[in-house]
Amino acid sequence: MVFSSVSDVQGRLEAKGYIPSREIATIVFLAQEAEKPVLVEGPAGVGKTELAKSISLCLDREMIRLQCYEGLDESKALYEWAYAKQLLYTQMLKEKISGIVSPEASLAKAVDEIAQHEDAFFSDRFIQTRPLLAAISSPEPVVLLIDEVDKSDPEFEAFLLELLSDFQVTIPELGTVRANTRPFVFLTSNNYRDMSDALKRRCIHIYIDYPDMETEKRIIARKLPGISERLLDQVAATVAGIRELDLKKRPCISETLDWAKSLMILGTDHLTPEDLDRTLNTLCKHRADYGVVRSRLRELVMA
Amino acid sequence: MDAVILEFVSCCRANGMRISTAETLDCLAQLNMAGPLNEQIFYTVLKANFAKSRREQDGFSRLYRLFFHDMKKGLPKAGEATDDSGEPLIDAPDLDHRLRQMVEQGEYAPGGTEQALLAFMAGEPRAFVEAVREIHDQETRVAGAVKSNLGQLTGRLEIMLAANRVRQQVPRFLGSMEGVPDEDQEALLQQAGQRLDRALAFLNEEPAPDNPGLVRTGETEQRFSHLGNIPFANLTRDETARVQDVIDQWVRKMEDVATLRFAAARKGAVDVKRTIQRSTRYLGVPVEIVRKDRPLRKGKIVTLCDVSGSVWSTARFMLNILYSLQACFARVKSHVFIDCPLEVTGLFLAHEANTAVKKILNDDRINYNARTDYGLTFQKFRDDHLSDLDKKTTLIIMGDGRSNYFNPREPVLELLRERCRRLVWLNPESRRFWGTGDSEMLRYRRYCNDARPCGNLNQLLAFIQDLVL
Repeated sequence: MVFSSVSDVQGRLEAKGYIPSREIATIVFLAQEAEKPVLVEGPAGVGKTELAKSISLCLDREMIRLQCYEGLDESKALYEWAYAKQLLYTQMLKEKISGIVSPEASLAKAVDEIAQHEDAFFSDRFIQTRPLLAAISSPEPVVLLIDEVDKSDPEFEAFLLELLSDFQVTIPELGTVRANTRPFVFLTSNNYRDMSDALKRRCIHIYIDYPDMETEKRIIARKLPGISERLLDQVAATVAGIRELDLKKRPCISETLDWAKSLMILGTDHLTPEDLDRTLNTLCKHRADYGVVRSRLRELVMA
Repeated sequence: MDAVILEFVSCCRANGMRISTAETLDCLAQLNMAGPLNEQIFYTVLKANFAKSRREQDGFSRLYRLFFHDMKKGLPKAGEATDDSGEPLIDAPDLDHRLRQMVEQGEYAPGGTEQALLAFMAGEPRAFVEAVREIHDQETRVAGAVKSNLGQLTGRLEIMLAANRVRQQVPRFLGSMEGVPDEDQEALLQQAGQRLDRALAFLNEEPAPDNPGLVRTGETEQRFSHLGNIPFANLTRDETARVQDVIDQWVRKMEDVATLRFAAARKGAVDVKRTIQRSTRYLGVPVEIVRKDRPLRKGKIVTLCDVSGSVWSTARFMLNILYSLQACFARVKSHVFIDCPLEVTGLFLAHEANTAVKKILNDDRINYNARTDYGLTFQKFRDDHLSDLDKKTTLIIMGDGRSNYFNPREPVLELLRERCRRLVWLNPESRRFWGTGDSEMLRYRRYCNDARPCGNLNQLLAFIQDLVL
């Protein structure tokens, strides 16, 4: 099921509805061959997460996703002991102790005898796996998506280093857990802050920008097969124009798709400035941006 | 091929990019996998391994073009290679060889500019790239009270003079060589001249990194229609008092909101020790499960405020708010500057904000007659206070970026950005005036995570709200 060449990556991704540039396909192929994580950067909504999803579809692997946020720590990302369950078991097994410890044993001996059973409480039975541990202990290879890694704290970033370079993690009570199979790792970043050199060094880097007009047309045509040629050209050109403006948030691919879809629903065949004005709220999500776009409706649509 | 890549890496490093040995090894391994014959793939592999952030990519492309295209390195041998006009070039290795001979035979100071230029022409650009990088990074030593921008200019002039000398020497040297037919000599000279021009073009290009992480702020919410839109610099005494009232009220509101938020954060991991302790009340049954409090991480703030003229009127309000909201941050440190930073954290901690502001204005450690110099301030801040910055710190610079045409020293600002979590620049001037006259704002903006105008109450409150929540 692995990719055999760069063109193979391109072909199979396109078959799953993701249209990659040659650069993206090359990086994905190399990451697979070199077994390296991919650090994907780019503005919101250019398909960073979608890339990982499509790869998991292409390779027919399960995708495990870890959404990063401020305050994310190991107990949320890696594992946690099921304390409540452990306490419950201790209560239930209280009576069993008399069976384990022989009645005539000295205190020291009794402690030794109980110590032989302590592993029962720190075993796989009481561990709650979180995404990262699930990804490396999975018997089948998976796609691991660590989303918006720039939102996490520097501590968490440092913790990722061991995982990303050796694909292993250390759990104090159990020892080092090595990956059975190497997951295909994607890290995405919105450039909220710069990642450390140590993290970058372990990854292959790719920057995905907004697609050029031709690629965007192909994406729209692919997702909305019923769209007319004329509307397609106009939509792509207008969105490209809007992205040039100084906006708080530039429209991303999914917003373009939403907009094109709403135009189709309204039965528009030829885009007019009034149509753009009526449907602007599918494209712009900030009040200030409405003003900027509205002041140039005519030139945007006519271009 | 390994040698070419290694040479390229050393050239990138000379230009200030940080490339580790592991990355070089990765790159070589990946080139073996993908095959180096397709240029697009070759470029992608190099870029993916060496330029690992958007901001580095422009510099990388520039070097790539220089190294693999302009210098015709590692490209087909003589006869196949053509220049732009389609004319066959003279065997490039031959010219390389001759130029290298010239270095060996001529009496050039080792490590000197002429040698670097000749090496550049012979296809080894590292020394020259390093020299150019040094000029861009140059930190002019301040001699006495006289400051000038001449350091950079002198550096450039030196290289240009050296280029002229080389231009004169090359024909003489090639002419003295035996066994070179006249027509070949002509072509060789032309080729050498072109390479020298390329070196000068490289010298004159200004590196301008793209900054996609820059937060875009449009218009701010109009909280206060009249009072909120008056520039701080134009407030009358009466209005100042009203602004102060509004701020006090707003600060109390923010504190409430922030406290609620911290209270809601108590949902950490189970505190086993305390759970067991509590369970003894119920005969060892863990009825009450205690969780560890995990307060939200509070950011550290370091501010650097220009205290000259119009900027100060805004900065005083901002400092006032920041210190009133201290509970929301782990630490607030502040510095003021005109041409060198001065830490004033102590004043704000010891006194109420308005008194502290008055004390700063009368502080004799600040030379109010000096001319604002951002470059020097950054440099001194880096020398004395760099340890204050870490990956949890937000650095807020407040100033108009008008540096009296002194050296802006933006590489220092870049270093500061790399050290802190976010770099925010608040400018009391509206965007229209950025980059006009002696404003270096457009240049500095490339290194900020957020650069926004902040000259009235609405803008200031919107910013602080973003910062706290």
